[in-house]
Amino acid sequence: MNTPNRKITIDPVTRVEGHGRVTVQLDDVGKVERARFHIVEFRGFERFIQGHPYWEAPLIVQRLCGICPVSHHLAAAKAIDQVYGVDPEDLHPTATKIRRLLHFGQVFQSHALHFFYLASPDLLFGIDAPVEKRSVGAVAGEYPELAKMGIQMRQFGQEIIRALAGKKIHGITAIPGGVHRTFDPEERDYFLTDNETPSIDTMIEWSKGCVEFIKDYHDKHFAWLDTFATYPSGHLGLVADDGALELYDGRMRAIDAQGKTTLNDIHADNYLKYFGEGVEKWSYMKFPYLRHLGRQNGWNRVGPLARLNVCESITTPLADAELREFKAYTNGRPNNHTMHSHWARLIEVLYCAEAMKELLEDPTILDVAERPPVNRRPEGIGIIEAPRGTLIHHYKVDEKGSITKCNLIVSTTHNNEPMNEAVRWVAQNVIDGQQEITEGMLNQVEIAIRAYDPCLSCATHSMGQMPLILEVLDADGNIVAEHVKNAT
Amino acid sequence: MKNVVRPVLGPDTLLFGIGNCGRSDDGLGWAFLDRIQNETGFNSPVEYRYQLQVEDAAQIARMQRVIFIDSYKGDLPGGFRWKTCTASENFEFTTHVLPPRGVMHYCKTLFGNTPRADILMIQGREWGLRNALSDDAAGNLEKALDFFLRNILYQNDRDV
Repeated sequence: MNTPNRKITIDPVTRVEGHGRVTVQLDDVGKVERARFHIVEFRGFERFIQGHPYWEAPLIVQRLCGICPVSHHLAAAKAIDQVYGVDPEDLHPTATKIRRLLHFGQVFQSHALHFFYLASPDLLFGIDAPVEKRSVGAVAGEYPELAKMGIQMRQFGQEIIRALAGKKIHGITAIPGGVHRTFDPEERDYFLTDNETPSIDTMIEWSKGCVEFIKDYHDKHFAWLDTFATYPSGHLGLVADDGALELYDGRMRAIDAQGKTTLNDIHADNYLKYFGEGVEKWSYMKFPYLRHLGRQNGWNRVGPLARLNVCESITTPLADAELREFKAYTNGRPNNHTMHSHWARLIEVLYCAEAMKELLEDPTILDVAERPPVNRRPEGIGIIEAPRGTLIHHYKVDEKGSITKCNLIVSTTHNNEPMNEAVRWVAQNVIDGQQEITEGMLNQVEIAIRAYDPCLSCATHSMGQMPLILEVLDADGNIVAEHVKNAT
Repeated sequence: MKNVVRPVLGPDTLLFGIGNCGRSDDGLGWAFLDRIQNETGFNSPVEYRYQLQVEDAAQIARMQRVIFIDSYKGDLPGGFRWKTCTASENFEFTTHVLPPRGVMHYCKTLFGNTPRADILMIQGREWGLRNALSDDAAGNLEKALDFFLRNILYQNDRDV
């Protein structure tokens, strides 16, 4: 690996879903010429779903991804509600609460999995630790109580999903214009008391502990966390009418790197007016951007960091206090530190736990949720905040009720340009000019990508496992170094 | 003397079908579970999974035996393969991929119990967006079922 004129390829990027490729092109003297994060596999889900009856969409889209089927289920359901003839505000209040509880359970378990099992090896053992040490297997061996806590937090979210959907996989909660079922008191009470699954109060306590852990970690490692993969960007997320953090239903807000509003709380129906999708011949994943800012300047991060940047408050007290501390760290200005995504993610974990408790203790969540009468429309758009960021489902339907057009913009697609920017940052600040490319350097490329927890399966609308590569190419395009970790 | 054949898998055995029925032959694991429940006297617990997850370790650790059924992309002589699964910390984890040996590692390190574990791999051929198995995969499923019924579920006098 000591030869100049190199191109670096990581394939696969571990602990990331999808079949993608990172290439770092070096020039004759070993300087980084270009760094890219590519997606090299594509299967057209949007075409596959055409011809299916509209009411099947919330069921079929769950197969896009085994990790966030609930997010796709709910985004599709919100879109199909409109085809059925129901706007979010007209959904029965109990139906909305059931869907929100399902969504909080999904975000809670997904964030817990990311923190305890994806991020923790880097955080606990350090980015330069030996590769055999820097693994979740080692975390389980050396920090078994932490690993068990991660499992139980994830289990809690999964049990919420199972209770509301009937099963963890291919369950049915949302139907056009409502929900399939609601809680009975016994099912609800299960989550309020400690039993095989610890109670929601325990989840809140553990979530507080997670936030304290990451803040303590920041105190000790701020020099790295405040600089690694830090770059200016726009930020996009949903907010409530009062500007509060909103995960299930809100308006789209974007700000630029200085905090200036670039998208002013638009309604979901207008997304096409504001968003374009750029394409590059070297990747199947599109590059969304705000049309009025252009392809070059209109891209935004999405996900926990972006959401906390665009919102003004959080409706639950503990998470709101943490949000204020988070914002104070950057003096109220947008936080552009990629590694602070972990901090933001854990504040959202706390928010989800508190919000689940509020919903579980709300007696009206046990009410019968009657569906409004059907009043068919030809089109529906559903937008939610999935664990990884803003998720858009858009369907058009013919007079027979068959889907004629589907457009999905998923969280990882929004983060396409930000992840490319992160890869460029590592290439220029870690790899550039180095005579020897170490495994630790290559791992830093992966760390930058992992902060976004990308799901390339969702992003390409394909399904299943797809590995990813990191390559070093010389000036003539020859592979002179390669980093391959088999994800199977 | 009449040879008595009896089911040897009881409620302390857990079957995991891994895959996705919406992606053609990736649905082999789920199809296996459907068939074994609908067409035999099988009454052990089963779980359907897109992929294994960390919390599955807690459930598995409470069992005496676990069998993972999954599709396989490579060539398998006879269309399927049965093999023992051993816990190992040498695995790569993604939020979307956790191999059986990794789950067994969690059983061992976090819950102090590693039940007997086996894997039944069934060869598939097509992986596109389709709610049906390919003809080849369907044939391999029959062979795997036949093996399972003869040698695993109903067992005479030998251990497999």
